[in-house]
Amino acid sequence: MAEDNREPPAGAGTLREALRALLPHRKEELVPELGEKVERSVVQLLWEAAELFCGGHRSECLQASEAILDYSWEKLNTGPWQDVHKDWRRVYAFGCLLKAVCLFEEPGDSAAVAAALKACDMGLLMGAAIHGDILIKVAAVLQAHLPSAKRPGPGLAEEQPSMKKARDDCVSVPDVASERLVPRLRCPSLQHFRKQFLVPGRPVILEGVADQWPCMTKWSLEYIQDIAGCRTVPVEVGSRYTDEDWSQTLMTVNEFISRYVRSESKDVGYLAQHQLFDQIPELKRDISIPDYCCLGDGEEEEITINAWFGPQGTVSPLHQDPQQNFLVQVIGRKYIRLYSPQESEALYPHETHLLHNTSQVDVENPEREKFPRFAEAPFLSCVLSPGEVLFIPARYWHYVRALDLSFSVSFWWS
Amino acid sequence: MAEEPRGSWFGFGFCGFGQALGSGRGRQVHSPEPLRTPGAGADVRRVSASWSYTAVVTRGGQVQLSGAADGAAGGCRDAWASEALLVVLRAGRGLGPGPELQAWAPGSALRGEPLWTHTLVPEAEGADGAGGEAQAGALPLLPGARAYVSPRPPFYRPLAPELRARRLELGAEHALLLDEAGQVFSWGQGRHGQLGHGTLEAQPEPRLLEALQGLPMAEVAAGGWHSVCVSETGDIYIWGWNESGQLALPTRSLSEDGKTVAREGEGTGELYTWGWGKYGQLGHKGTTSLDRPRRVEYFVDKQLQVRAVSCGLWNTYVCAVERGES
Repeated sequence: MAEDNREPPAGAGTLREALRALLPHRKEELVPELGEKVERSVVQLLWEAAELFCGGHRSECLQASEAILDYSWEKLNTGPWQDVHKDWRRVYAFGCLLKAVCLFEEPGDSAAVAAALKACDMGLLMGAAIHGDILIKVAAVLQAHLPSAKRPGPGLAEEQPSMKKARDDCVSVPDVASERLVPRLRCPSLQHFRKQFLVPGRPVILEGVADQWPCMTKWSLEYIQDIAGCRTVPVEVGSRYTDEDWSQTLMTVNEFISRYVRSESKDVGYLAQHQLFDQIPELKRDISIPDYCCLGDGEEEEITINAWFGPQGTVSPLHQDPQQNFLVQVIGRKYIRLYSPQESEALYPHETHLLHNTSQVDVENPEREKFPRFAEAPFLSCVLSPGEVLFIPARYWHYVRALDLSFSVSFWWS
Repeated sequence: MAEEPRGSWFGFGFCGFGQALGSGRGRQVHSPEPLRTPGAGADVRRVSASWSYTAVVTRGGQVQLSGAADGAAGGCRDAWASEALLVVLRAGRGLGPGPELQAWAPGSALRGEPLWTHTLVPEAEGADGAGGEAQAGALPLLPGARAYVSPRPPFYRPLAPELRARRLELGAEHALLLDEAGQVFSWGQGRHGQLGHGTLEAQPEPRLLEALQGLPMAEVAAGGWHSVCVSETGDIYIWGWNESGQLALPTRSLSEDGKTVAREGEGTGELYTWGWGKYGQLGHKGTTSLDRPRRVEYFVDKQLQVRAVSCGLWNTYVCAVERGES
């Protein structure tokens, strides 16, 4: 894997060689194995595209891969996502792969490299793994060959938001001292944690567990933009996901930071609940998996690791998740409130199937007449700071508001 | 239902499989080109285009395939092309006098045996016109309007007789039905609003479009995830996904997703297209998508009056006659 280097951009020749080395050489190995769901005509097009690629006909291959992408995209949009056949996602990933490796002509054409990276990311976000996660490897090679001038984000001369303290004049820091606090423990033993918190389902903040992780010292806006600036990620736009005008969109990390983090946007943008560390393995090296996860039933590969990155003010409405959760705070602070599952009725969950795990109540501004029982429901709260890990038991209701520019990593395990 | 058009056929848009589109050069044709069919020309009765191939039905009863599927066969009254199945309505072969509905694998080149057949009862088509001839262009609605054909099993799907279907169109995951009284029904998936009932819920059974009640419709059409109908007074109603401007309403991002809509001006014979244009299927000599209708100038320049339009997945077929011809 390429190191972070500041050498002048390698010529396109080296880049093409590096990519070719990753791909199967023969067209028979290039086309993924597919079942019956994929129509003959599509398979025909895949073979044609592979042949064009192996024959070095780049622009024709690009045309063919566009058709592959457009057709499989329609399949991806037909029916509920969980019913979309994996083979269509493989076809889509294959189209992204060919598009990515065919996209550049000129040496040092950073726009083309960024476009190729985007193609890889679309394949990673919407497609299914082919050829042993080849898209991740292609993305890493492309990332390493980005001219170094392109990698840092725009406007470094602009004032950088302070990462350690909140702008107290324009954010309301809750008066936590008056609330019942989540207990804190320093490096409890596995047994102690299991007996006192995991089994009875009680929240706790673990100190000294993640504070030495590399991310705690390495991560900053510049670092994130350097490693991942050109990568495409899903962003939630809107103050909270229960709002009518809430939506999700795709953009690069640079665009996200420039639009929603560095500038005062009227909309809130949140890079939320995204498996960023599967997409960008280089970032995964800066985090670990909390040891306490071994107390669960599942395998390590089954643990879902999500990134939560956004400006001050992002809100996750009060909701519950089916799995155990370790929420690791890396940058900035979050105000978190926790309600036991036993209090569920007093939290007025939505009736619809889609939102039945979400409360109707706006925790920090509840409508008392509409939700009379809410005010009496007991809760625990905390301000979670960098280096700390919050254990949220399965099904425990939680509400989260970012007090600063914030980056958290969550681990869902069973 | 409109009379079967007589005229010359033209095509534009995606032809990456070499399907019958003018010169067939390259993968896309951005401006209308005369359709090349073997010895056919003005004899084409109906064009049904799937993604990778096109089926052309001639007045002589020939169905001709071009593109990823090829082959030809006779005794054919109507054809309907989809990637999974080629559905053909043929004169009865054996057991009864009724026409036979055949579903073929597109790759079979119409040789050997069809995947599935269904003999239609002759009296079921009695009301359909002179001599009991089924009209071309009714598929996927079957003659007699008691059932329709689906590209996914079950292939034969009955319709309640009280629906009195006149026309039926299928989108990627929904269906539209126009009845004898000009009412529109829809059913299937609704997550993009394509059903028109004001929600995103799916509908398992045909449900009347209340929003259109009192407005008799003359025609219906369906794109992948949107629906169109035209009233008897010539107003167009469109609903569903507007990702590429296919609803002819401003769209936030004219990106590469969506469908094409094509519409001929009543009486004037002008063709307007809008929506996704990446493969030249709008016929405006480029690949820009549009969120408002634009006239296809080719036909005006050539003094041609458009009589019929058939939209494939990413291409468009048009039948036109020279101005002055009746």
